[in-house]
Amino acid sequence: MVEFFIFIFIVVILVALGWGLLGMLKGGKSGSDKMFKSLVTRVVLSVILFALVMFAAYMGWIEPNNVILDAPTQ
Amino acid sequence: MSAQEYYIPNGTYWPIVGSVGVSTLFVGFANQMHGASWGGSVMAIGFAILVFMMFGWFGQVVNESVNGNYNNQVDRSFRWGMSWFIFSEVMFFAAFFGALFYARQLSVPWLGGADNNLFTPELWNGFSATWQQVAMNTPAAISQAGMEYSVPVKLVDTWGLPALNTLLLLLSGVTLTFAHHALREGKRNQIVGWLVATIVLGVLFLGFQIAEYGHAYHDGLKLTSGIYGSTFYMLTGFHGFHVTVGAIMLTVILYRVQKGHFSADSHFGFEGVAWYWHFVDVVWLGLFVFVYWV
Repeated sequence: MVEFFIFIFIVVILVALGWGLLGMLKGGKSGSDKMFKSLVTRVVLSVILFALVMFAAYMGWIEPNNVILDAPTQ
Repeated sequence: MSAQEYYIPNGTYWPIVGSVGVSTLFVGFANQMHGASWGGSVMAIGFAILVFMMFGWFGQVVNESVNGNYNNQVDRSFRWGMSWFIFSEVMFFAAFFGALFYARQLSVPWLGGADNNLFTPELWNGFSATWQQVAMNTPAAISQAGMEYSVPVKLVDTWGLPALNTLLLLLSGVTLTFAHHALREGKRNQIVGWLVATIVLGVLFLGFQIAEYGHAYHDGLKLTSGIYGSTFYMLTGFHGFHVTVGAIMLTVILYRVQKGHFSADSHFGFEGVAWYWHFVDVVWLGLFVFVYWV
């Protein structure tokens, strides 16, 4: 479940970043505004995601990537 | 120049100077890796040529911009050029993230007997499909221990330096956003302060990344440490290279801000570099989440 939220966060962050790129491509006052707002959104979401990952790890909801995936039967 | 005229730049020798610099740098690097005594010297010459090229080429473009040679058409060309560059960067990192996904989710479990690979345990008896596969034993050590295949012997710490580095890079995104805001408000002193903070945070990140590599290498994690070592160093190494390039670009922007090259309404150079830094920031966030945690 936590992994799902993390994945959604990353997708939204990528969308915000892409939105910012479109603003930069457009140029002018409206493009500049669009870019700035998108990048602010990107930064805020990224900080929240980092806090979420750290909190989830602290609570034991997620574990580092060191689990055995498919160990063969000996 | 009027808005209708199509700007055609003068012929320039800087691209070929850059090509010679990069070629010299990599010939020196490759030979250094093969133990040639002259490799380091050739690398230094290549690096010097690159620095010379950057000063010359950047300076030429900046001068053309400041002298008013560029019109709206050129502005659009710059924006499209930056966008295609970004597209190539996205594809570049997508390939490495794809390799990470393929190795971790598909090929390593298959080798361990997942899905319908009924004979895999027979073919690869004793192979343990783990991720991270860090610090694989050397062939000699495997042979000495009487084992048939290598096994993972140590795991990388996910807290500590990786988490600290993530925090540093996220903070640099915050400081850069403040610099961007100050630029839009026309407050030059604030822009300089926030940009300096961003560059310092980027350099700190690189310093800790070098320390992290030192730890990992000491623990036996190398490019040759199986598929995990390969993807780990390729992803984090190229990301570190991008942070280095971003820090250089931000330093150039800092110089241009101090020279008063940007206004609250016209600052594409800043926007392009800022977007690049945010992109590099997001790539690291993806690395931190997918390489270390999820």
